[in-house]
Amino acid sequence: MSRALSWLLLTAILGGCATEIPDAALRLPESTLEVRSLQTRTLAAPSEIDILTATIAVLQDMEFNIDRIEKPLGVITASKVTDADSANEKTGLFFLDLLCAIGGGGCDAMSTAQDDQHITLTMVVLPSLARDGEYTTRITIQRVIYDKMDRILVLERIDDAQTYQQIFDNLRKSLFIQVGEK
Amino acid sequence: MSRLLRLLPLLMLLLLASCATTPANVAGAGTQLETRQIQTREYDTLDKPMTMRSVVATLQDLGFTIDQADAELGTITATRLHDHTMRMTVAVVQKGMQRIAVRANARIGENSVTDAATYQDFFVALDKAMFLTLHKVD
Repeated sequence: MSRALSWLLLTAILGGCATEIPDAALRLPESTLEVRSLQTRTLAAPSEIDILTATIAVLQDMEFNIDRIEKPLGVITASKVTDADSANEKTGLFFLDLLCAIGGGGCDAMSTAQDDQHITLTMVVLPSLARDGEYTTRITIQRVIYDKMDRILVLERIDDAQTYQQIFDNLRKSLFIQVGEK
Repeated sequence: MSRLLRLLPLLMLLLLASCATTPANVAGAGTQLETRQIQTREYDTLDKPMTMRSVVATLQDLGFTIDQADAELGTITATRLHDHTMRMTVAVVQKGMQRIAVRANARIGENSVTDAATYQDFFVALDKAMFLTLHKVD
């Protein structure tokens, strides 16, 4: 028993402050090409200003705030904070709290419910290297979901094809309006 | 067991002291030259905009979003949220009359990434992006 306790304490001492640098943190994943293709579209536009204006308008349509723009690199960074509440999740957690209360304990499961999400989006809009008059647009999106106690629940990159498709559909419409308004 | 109990205060002290850090680790660890060598790769090109375009594409391939970019100074800072928060700054600088140097530094949470293999992986990814950019592949 005492030996086991000694090992436990020693492990805590040695491992307590170990830094966690994951292996292959900057190695290209095998899915790179697939992800790149769902994040990228090439669109025809009369000028770089037209497509950048349409891109900013579509971000505003989606209720993002523009954080930074670096025009020579075609980089637009935007973000927004939205509600991440889910009625289904809340119902489940409510019943979990109820079961805990019946069992004589208090587990406060409701405090782990999703509260809000911080979404960061980068759009890179650059003249196509392959074709004149076309612009390559690539989007990357990430989000952090916090619980009711402001603890981080989820850190993730959005890889959902439908989300990207929807943004590109909106961008095409925005570009159409932008060119028509000139 | 009683011997262990006598040692317990000492062990607790070790446990607490093992996490102690200097108040402000501003200068970082490691030698300047060694760190630079690990974090830098030079390319036989003078095309800084194309190099920066490749860096942005590489960072996006690796799942980062761009926090800040400055074409004139050649710096790009990006963040990746995936289980952990990883932050990178990449600087693109002209070296002499024929080469461009790309220097990257990364942090994961509170820790600096110091191992050469991780930076090697980044530059392998950048090599691919540079190849595609120079061959005019979108």
